[in-house]
Amino acid sequence: MEITESPEDAMVSVENLNVAFGKKQIIHNVSFSVKKGEIIGMFGISGAGKTTIIRVLTCQIENKNWNGNVLVTGMNPNKKANYPKILSNIGYVPQLELLNLYFELNPMVNVEVFTSTYGMDKKEAKETAKKLFNILDIPKDTWKKRVKKMSGGEKKRLSMAIGLIHNPKVLFLDEPTTGVDASKRYDILSYLKKLNQQLNTTMFIITHDLEAALICDKTAILREGKLLEFDTPQNLINSLPSKGLVARISIENLDQKIIKTIQEYPSIQNVLRVGNETIEVLIDDFEDVLPKLMKFLFENEIKVISMSRDIANFRRYFQIRIQEEEEKETRQHQKELISEGGS
Amino acid sequence: MIVAIGLTSGNSGASMQPINCVVVSYDSNTYIEENNFTESNLDGYNLKYVEAVNASNLLNLIQFFNATEEIYAMESARNYLTAKQIKIIISIPVDFSELISWGYPGLIDCITDSSDIQKIQENFNAVYDSIKIFVSQNNLTPQFEIIGFEEFSIPEDFSFSYNYMIVLVLSFMVIGVGMVSTILIIVQEKPVARLLLTPVKRLEILTAKYLTYMSILVIQNLSLIFTSLAFGLYLVGSLFDLFLALFILGFTGLALGIFISSLSKTKTQANQLFLATFLVLILLSGIFIPIDAMPIYLQVIAYILPLSHGSPLINSIITKGKSVFGFEFFTLLGVSLVLIVLSFIIFQRRKYEV
Repeated sequence: MEITESPEDAMVSVENLNVAFGKKQIIHNVSFSVKKGEIIGMFGISGAGKTTIIRVLTCQIENKNWNGNVLVTGMNPNKKANYPKILSNIGYVPQLELLNLYFELNPMVNVEVFTSTYGMDKKEAKETAKKLFNILDIPKDTWKKRVKKMSGGEKKRLSMAIGLIHNPKVLFLDEPTTGVDASKRYDILSYLKKLNQQLNTTMFIITHDLEAALICDKTAILREGKLLEFDTPQNLINSLPSKGLVARISIENLDQKIIKTIQEYPSIQNVLRVGNETIEVLIDDFEDVLPKLMKFLFENEIKVISMSRDIANFRRYFQIRIQEEEEKETRQHQKELISEGGS
Repeated sequence: MIVAIGLTSGNSGASMQPINCVVVSYDSNTYIEENNFTESNLDGYNLKYVEAVNASNLLNLIQFFNATEEIYAMESARNYLTAKQIKIIISIPVDFSELISWGYPGLIDCITDSSDIQKIQENFNAVYDSIKIFVSQNNLTPQFEIIGFEEFSIPEDFSFSYNYMIVLVLSFMVIGVGMVSTILIIVQEKPVARLLLTPVKRLEILTAKYLTYMSILVIQNLSLIFTSLAFGLYLVGSLFDLFLALFILGFTGLALGIFISSLSKTKTQANQLFLATFLVLILLSGIFIPIDAMPIYLQVIAYILPLSHGSPLINSIITKGKSVFGFEFFTLLGVSLVLIVLSFIIFQRRKYEV
C-alpha cells in the first residue's frame, strides 16, 4: 500500500484531474486542495461533474477512466490496494436514506451492521452512536424502533450519523438537503456545521442547494466538467464589481429591450432578472454610477417603481458566474460559425 | 418455448433407454405323464421368452438366472434391484413351459420398484413389449403381472399416496423456498451499494448472505422433516440422510436464487427470471415427463438441473433407505458450486453506484 504525503496538511488534494468514459471527457483538468476540518460545497447544475469528482475520491471509478494526481487522506485512489484504507478514512451519506439504512431494522442495529464492516468493537460503536445521536437530536425513543417508523428528518440525521459512525477523516454528503422541507433545510445545514465543529471532520457537500454555501468554508463551482471557481464564498462575492454591491430596481413593464438598454449603459457589469419586474444591476464604481443610471432611466422614460441597494449573496454570484460562462461560450460558438462561414 | 417445442418433438427425437432387468427362471421344462409317471422334456419356452427379452428394444437383460440350478438366484436378483442396477426382475414360474404347451397362460411375475409410481408404467410397457415379441415368435400368449418389490413397499398402516406425494412436496418446497427467499437479496437490497463504500469486500458480503440463508435453511429443513414425520411419513432411511438431502437441494435452490439475484438488474427482472427458471426446473425434473423420453439436448439440460436429482435422492432415502452420498448428492453439490462461483464472478464485476 502506497502512502504518500499530500501537499501541506491537505485532507484531499486533486491536481489536473481528467475523467473520461470512452471518448467522452467528463472532467477537464480540475485541481483543488482541502484542509482538515474544512467544509467544501460543490455546486453546479446537473451534468456539471460534481458527482463524478466525488466518485473518483470515493474509489467508485476505476483508474482506467481517470488521470491526475489525486490524494485522499494521503493515499492515491488509483491503486486498488489503497481502497480499503481510503474507505476506512472516509464516510459517505447518499442522497436517499434507503441507500444508507435498513428500514426494517432499528437505528442501533443499523449502526451494528455498518460498524461491523469497519471492524469496530461493539461497545465502542454503541458509545459513538449515542454521542452522534445526541449531537443530531435523534430522539431516544426512536433508537429501538424500526427506521421505517422514523420521520423524514430523523432518517436524514440517522443517515448522517451512519456516515460518521467510524469517525472518518472526510465525510462526503450527496445532496443532504434535497427532499427536505424548506423549513428543515437550515436545520440540516446547522447540524452539519455542528458536527464539523465538534468532530473537526472535513466535509464535502455536493448540492444544487445554493443555501448550503452558508456553512461552507470553501465553495467549488463546476460547469460542464470544468472547475470555474474554488474559494471562500466571501472572496467570490468580493470579486464582483463594487465588492458585490447590487442595485435592485423594480421597473414597470420590464422587458428584454429595457434590460438590453441598461446593459449597454457604461460601467454596467451585469443585469440579472430576479423577478417579473425586478432586476439586479452590478456596477463598477457603484456610488458614482448609480445616480447617473437612474437619471438615464428617467430620461429614457423607463418608469422605476422602486430601487434599493444590497450585497450580493452566493446565489447571485453563482448565477452571474454561470451566466458569464454561458455568454462566453455563445460568443465562442458564434466566432467559430463565422470563421467556418469565411473559410 | 424451447422446452415446449422439445417436449412435443420428444417422441421422434429421443429413443427410450432400455430398462435393465434380470430373468429368473424356475421353469423345469419337463412333463410327467399321468399314466406311467414318466418324465419327458418339453420345448424350453423360458429360453424362448429370454430370446424375446433380448429382442426387445425396451429391455436390457443384465443376467439370466436358472433357478433350478442356482439356489440363490432370486436372492441375487433382489440384490441387483436393491442396488438399483436393474429395475425389473422377471420371474418365470416352475410350470411355465408345461402350461403354455397345453394352451394355458403361464403367469410371468414382474417384480419392480413400486415406490416410484411413475416408473411402474414404464416398466409395464417394457415387459409388455417382450411379451408381444414372444407372442409373435411362438404364437402363444402368456400372461404377466406386475408385483411391487416388497423391500421398497410401504407398510399397510402408512399411506402410500402420502409417502409418494411427500417426496414431490419436499423437493418442490425446499428448492422453491430456497430460490424465492434469495432472488431479491442483491437486486432489492439498496444499502448493498453503500456497503461497497466501506472496507468490506464483495466476497464477504456474498459469503454473509450464504451463511445467513443457510442457517434459515437448516431451521426450515428441520421443521419440514418433523412435520412430515408427524403427519405419518414412512422413513426407511436415516433422519440425518434425509436432512442432508433436503439441505443440499435447498442449498442448490439458494445458489440458484442468489445467481438470479446477482444477474438481474431490477426486481421485476429477478421475479420473471425466477418464474421462467422454476418452470423449466419442474418441466425438466422428470417428475411429469420421463427424462428418457425427452430429446437428447433436453436430457442433457435435465440432468444438469437440480430437481431431476433432488427428487430421486429424497425418494431413495425415504423409501429405500439409501445413503445420501451418491451420484445425485455430488451432482447437486457440483451444480451449487458452479452457481456460487458464477454469482461471485457476476457480483464482483457488477457496477454499483450510490
